[in-house]
Amino acid sequence: MTAIAEDDRPSSLWRDAWKRLRRNRLAVIGLFIIAILVIVAAFGPWMSPYDFLSQNLDARNQPPSGLHWLGTDDLGRDVLSRLIYGARTAFLVAVGVTVAAVLIGVVLGAIAGFYGGAFDRFVMWFTDMTMSVPQLLLVVVINASLKQPISLWMEARYMETLNPIWRNSAIIDFVLVFGSMALITWPPYARLVRAQVLSVRGRPYVTAARALGLTNRIILMRYVLPNAMGPLIVAVSAGLGTAMVLESAFSFLGVGVTPPTPSWGNMISDGLRVWTNYPHLLLAPAAVLAVVTVAFNFLGDGLNDALNPKGQK
Amino acid sequence: MTAPLIEIAGLSKRFDLRVGAFGERSATVHALDDFTATVIEGETLSLVGESGCGKSTTGFCLLNLHRPTGGSVRYRGQEIAGLDEDAMRPLRRELQIVFQDPYSTLNPRMTIGEALAEPILFHGLATKADLPARVTRLLADVGLTPRFANRYPHELSGGQRQRVAIARALACEPRFIVCDEAISALDVSVQAQILNLLLDLQEKYGLTYLFIAHDLAVVRHISDRVGVMYLGRLAELAPAGALFSQPMHPYTRALLSAVPEPDPKSARSRQRLQGEVPSPLNPPQGCRFHTRCPIARDACRSAVPAWREVATGHHVACHAVSAPDKLNWEGTE
Amino acid sequence: MTALLDIRGLTIDIARDGGPARVVDGIDLAIQQGESVGIVGESGCGKSLTMLSLVGLLPNRIRATGGSAMFGGRDLLKLGPKELRKVRGSEIGFIFQDPMTSLNPVIRVGDQIAEALIWQKGLAKEAAQARAVELLELVGIPGPAERARAWPHELSGGMRQRVMIAMGLAGHPRLLIADEPTTALDVTIQAQIVDLVRELKDKMQMAVVWITHDLALIAGLADRIAVLYAGTVVEDAPVSAIFERPTHPYTRGLLASLPTLAGAAMERLPSIGGTPPEPGRRPPGCPFAPRCAHAVAACAEAVPRLAPVPGSDPRHRVACPVMTERAAA
Repeated sequence: MTAIAEDDRPSSLWRDAWKRLRRNRLAVIGLFIIAILVIVAAFGPWMSPYDFLSQNLDARNQPPSGLHWLGTDDLGRDVLSRLIYGARTAFLVAVGVTVAAVLIGVVLGAIAGFYGGAFDRFVMWFTDMTMSVPQLLLVVVINASLKQPISLWMEARYMETLNPIWRNSAIIDFVLVFGSMALITWPPYARLVRAQVLSVRGRPYVTAARALGLTNRIILMRYVLPNAMGPLIVAVSAGLGTAMVLESAFSFLGVGVTPPTPSWGNMISDGLRVWTNYPHLLLAPAAVLAVVTVAFNFLGDGLNDALNPKGQK
Repeated sequence: MTAPLIEIAGLSKRFDLRVGAFGERSATVHALDDFTATVIEGETLSLVGESGCGKSTTGFCLLNLHRPTGGSVRYRGQEIAGLDEDAMRPLRRELQIVFQDPYSTLNPRMTIGEALAEPILFHGLATKADLPARVTRLLADVGLTPRFANRYPHELSGGQRQRVAIARALACEPRFIVCDEAISALDVSVQAQILNLLLDLQEKYGLTYLFIAHDLAVVRHISDRVGVMYLGRLAELAPAGALFSQPMHPYTRALLSAVPEPDPKSARSRQRLQGEVPSPLNPPQGCRFHTRCPIARDACRSAVPAWREVATGHHVACHAVSAPDKLNWEGTE
Repeated sequence: MTALLDIRGLTIDIARDGGPARVVDGIDLAIQQGESVGIVGESGCGKSLTMLSLVGLLPNRIRATGGSAMFGGRDLLKLGPKELRKVRGSEIGFIFQDPMTSLNPVIRVGDQIAEALIWQKGLAKEAAQARAVELLELVGIPGPAERARAWPHELSGGMRQRVMIAMGLAGHPRLLIADEPTTALDVTIQAQIVDLVRELKDKMQMAVVWITHDLALIAGLADRIAVLYAGTVVEDAPVSAIFERPTHPYTRGLLASLPTLAGAAMERLPSIGGTPPEPGRRPPGCPFAPRCAHAVAACAEAVPRLAPVPGSDPRHRVACPVMTERAAA
């Protein structure tokens, strides 16, 4: 009882984890890069030297110069400006897709793991089914089959209301791209959460909570989920990076964000066609994408170490 | 001190398991068989025995944390065996439990104060305004200062955590507490502190304890009555004094003789039980102890011995023991 | 006579965020040939770490930082990993607390013992397996030839602990270190294992160090007992002296708080207030002083050294000037 008399500040597990995270150099670097990404995504329009759409057909495919730090593309658009706007797309894709996938995964996984029984069997069957369908195929099918009807429906809404929002193709992009990506990325989260919930559910403090008479809902929300979150946080951090790579892959296949909205993915896919002549058009977006993905993984690893300290009491 | 608080009759619990590499066979664990006893208001009733004897299962079944397979548990006259969770909830407040491992029975993400406040608010035992004072009083009851309310469990020692676990049970203002190996995981010097605390609280609040333990020396110090269990069945149940001075069941005698004495000169002729406890998946027929019993006879292999009261309050289930004056012990050891 | 094992001034530190914390703080302990010594203390007193440090099995972040441990003319603390591996098993055997997790679940028990023999003694596979069966028989496992082919999960806790003992004995060590080998076992099985180790000690003429928190268990087992508190030896004496004339206030407190089957029941047990200090938060001076009813001002200043207890057994030493003075008076 005397042992803790001097320092009266409680040290919660989260605070301890944050302390450990701050000491991990790679994680801090990752966090720093991600912070830059967030700032760029938020304030891009005020930061970029040019408009991402303004074409200058007199200055096409220029190498990096004082005027265009990262050169221009085949339509004479400034690559740096497009990268900065692309950060916004990348960030929206990463966050939007991951949030949607995590929501689906947590709800299904937690309920399945906590209550078990027939619902659990159904969820696991559904998860396995989703995972067994080839992901790219699923996305291509969704995009190919839904893009047409959705744009027709939106056109109809526009004719009815004359509200220009129904003419903004970016909405279709985001709904379809995000939606289809969330549809293929939720199963690992569901499995992870279910496994965690299953393990936490058997811990003595959950039995203790039952013995106090607490309801299942309280037990799930206050005892099981908070203690099941650690691995999920790590997975989400890595998942944010993966979502960006996935978006690039879809853009490359032509089912990603529709041009001219800049995304790193469609910049890479454009650059790839001309990379022998104008390597900077491929290198610039690819390097940015790689750096950001690695940053997310550094952070994920750091979080993993911080939340599961080994060799500590 | 004589009113029955809980009457248990024929309580049984079986667990069905899937065994084999692919879970292709089912098996039944006979965790608890035909447990009949009465818990008297204000007493400490202890259950002792080796692992797998069913003592913890008894505690869990009493509180409906495990749903009994058969038998009845009447708490103050009301049948509670098999009540569903909603019907059980108001009773949970009065029937509490303290678990063995204080390291894992507290939610690591909740401060001590939050952990104590939760049952108080949930059962509506105090208003939000009274809460801090109530938490402080609970902490004081278990010998902790108010500053512990802001701490997280991992900052506390084992003894302190067990105090918190006890405070949490007390928060519900219970009448009955199951202490499930509540001091087994603690260091010797801390064990004595917690035992004394439990005794103090019993006096202060008139609590009734079901004390589940494997350490007979501890049990002897705090119990009014002691039940000895073997492989899911009660072997003997008697007032503590009688059980330790005049054990009747051969298993009780063996158990007592196996307890080491803190005295290097004690050259007690120790009676060693041969072999190990059989698997509860496939318990022996007849008396379950007959495979290790030094005085087993033919009858023991076929017939389950009856649960008989051989002296006032002294129950035994053994074919060889019919009355204390006719103990068939001589010449068998 | 030179001791089999002579530990002097051993210190062990844990690397922590705020710098190293001392867990073992200058332990002196000698073990004679064929002697049976109990090391008694509560969790965190450093009893297990002390023994693990001898054979280079300390966990990550924990390191022996000072002192010496002479064994067979060598300082164990200065040996490299390769030499230590030779010492482990062949000269110093180990039995661990938890027989459930100390056996590899995917190797048959006979093969696990044989593997150790192949490594340590360079036996051929067949010879090693035959020896493994002999060892299983030695530790009282019925049907040793069949049991050698069993998987660990097919054995009960008591049987597994016997297998662990067989592994500890495989190299025919001169010193067997038993780290709470019966804590996880039921009392009737515990009694069997205690008998077994005692019997094997005589048969194989080895010294046994029995690490335990259970004073009652060690009473019938050890020739000598060293009581540890917060990383130091506070009392070291022949077993009869410990129980007849416990001198250190901590030893007395431990013995008093021990419930027994003899004597009066249904009363409050005397208990030691407070909790042991955490590593790195040791008070200056005597580590037990904050919990001690006999503490005087001087206790908080100098760390007491082990000194003979006047009027007791000549080998009875205690680290408490207050009590030694009182015994002299």
